[in-house]
Amino acid sequence: MATKRRPEPKSGTTSAARTMGAVRARPRTRRPSPWLPVGATVAVIAVAVGVFFLVRSATTPTQAPTLPSQAATQKVVDTITSIPASELDQVGAGTASSTIQPVIGNPQPLVGPSGKPEVLYVGAEYCPYCAAERWAMIIALSRFGSFSGIRSMTSAADDVYPSTPTFTFHGATYQSPYIDFVAVETTTNVKGSNGQYQPLDSLTPSEQALVNQYDGPPYTNSAGSIPFIDFGNRYVMSGATYQPDVIHGMSWSEIAQSLQDPSSSQAKAVIGSANLLTAAICKASGQQPANVCSSPTISSLEAKLGQ
Amino acid sequence: MSRWDGLRLGLLAALGVVGGGIALYLTFVHASAAALVCSASGLVNCERVLSSPYAVILGSPVPTSAAGILWFAASAALALAQLRRPTSSFLARAHVGWGIVGLATVLYLVYVEIVQVGALCAWCTAAHVAVVATFLLAITRWQEVESAD
Repeated sequence: MATKRRPEPKSGTTSAARTMGAVRARPRTRRPSPWLPVGATVAVIAVAVGVFFLVRSATTPTQAPTLPSQAATQKVVDTITSIPASELDQVGAGTASSTIQPVIGNPQPLVGPSGKPEVLYVGAEYCPYCAAERWAMIIALSRFGSFSGIRSMTSAADDVYPSTPTFTFHGATYQSPYIDFVAVETTTNVKGSNGQYQPLDSLTPSEQALVNQYDGPPYTNSAGSIPFIDFGNRYVMSGATYQPDVIHGMSWSEIAQSLQDPSSSQAKAVIGSANLLTAAICKASGQQPANVCSSPTISSLEAKLGQ
Repeated sequence: MSRWDGLRLGLLAALGVVGGGIALYLTFVHASAAALVCSASGLVNCERVLSSPYAVILGSPVPTSAAGILWFAASAALALAQLRRPTSSFLARAHVGWGIVGLATVLYLVYVEIVQVGALCAWCTAAHVAVVATFLLAITRWQEVESAD
């Protein structure tokens, strides 16, 4: 039986060959290399990290601010220690985060050189977290007594939050009818030829024992952190109650001025922190003086401290 | 499923377990005030990072590492699901999407560490590397699954 043959294409190629030819003729779609997104992602991350470091170095002052004169320092101290009680109460704990913890067990109360409950502070002039905390400490302690001889200081220029404006307790004196305040600034803010910050005050063996006992787990994750404060062996705290960036880059007088406004971020952090410290000191001082310790704000913060 | 694909999915699941373990450890340290095994001076300073306000979610008591546990658990679950359904482009796409969420979070956290806190946390960095590796493996797998369709 005769079959009707399809006409062959003019070129003379077979159907099969034509199909293959069509496949060959189709433009090739190149599959993107799987390494392209990998490389792009790694590059984006590397660039981002580089930019972050650049931003960090650009926003970090390279020169330490000039320390104010002793008269200017005294004016700043006078300003921050005369904040009205109404404003202190208004701020409450503010944005401060308490690191104050009750001492476990029932140890002997810590008594100072004049027989009163002792508040022991251990810090260092280089330390940016101590720099931040001193503002709050001066406000809090001034409600129980008075300082003299406080000098301006900055934290180290080569640490985080470099050259944060602050004060030093080294060489200062404190008088109070209720508590003894003992401050130990272990080093300066300047490194010596050995690459270490130069030593300043030394801990007595009994102070060192308190640090060994309370400045580590379970009270804090990192043993030996500063600032460390022992409130009469009733409460202890390690680390700052607010971050130094709140005051970083400001002058002493700008910070003092900002603390006059209870809605400022500086007031919420520094005064909030001062109120927390005040509550702990009240616990150590036996609720003396009553006009400070019986204020509703301080009483409520004391209740939150526990024990 | 090719041997390489099985290995890759196993690696994705393992990254979920390892990263989740790190996040779990950091959450445990946060909750128990246990001592953290990490440098506490210089640029690498876990204590400084983990005691910063950024170590908790929006000022709550919930540590940021808790979110890490959830992320790694979900990532491991996605990897296991793909082992069962290796040709599912939906799962491959979901893993890439999840990876993008993780990558964006990592970039933010690295920004916080370097710019805001000025210190790096070694444990956090290990978890961040696990997130990036997860994203890279997920995206290469997604490309292959899509092109095989």
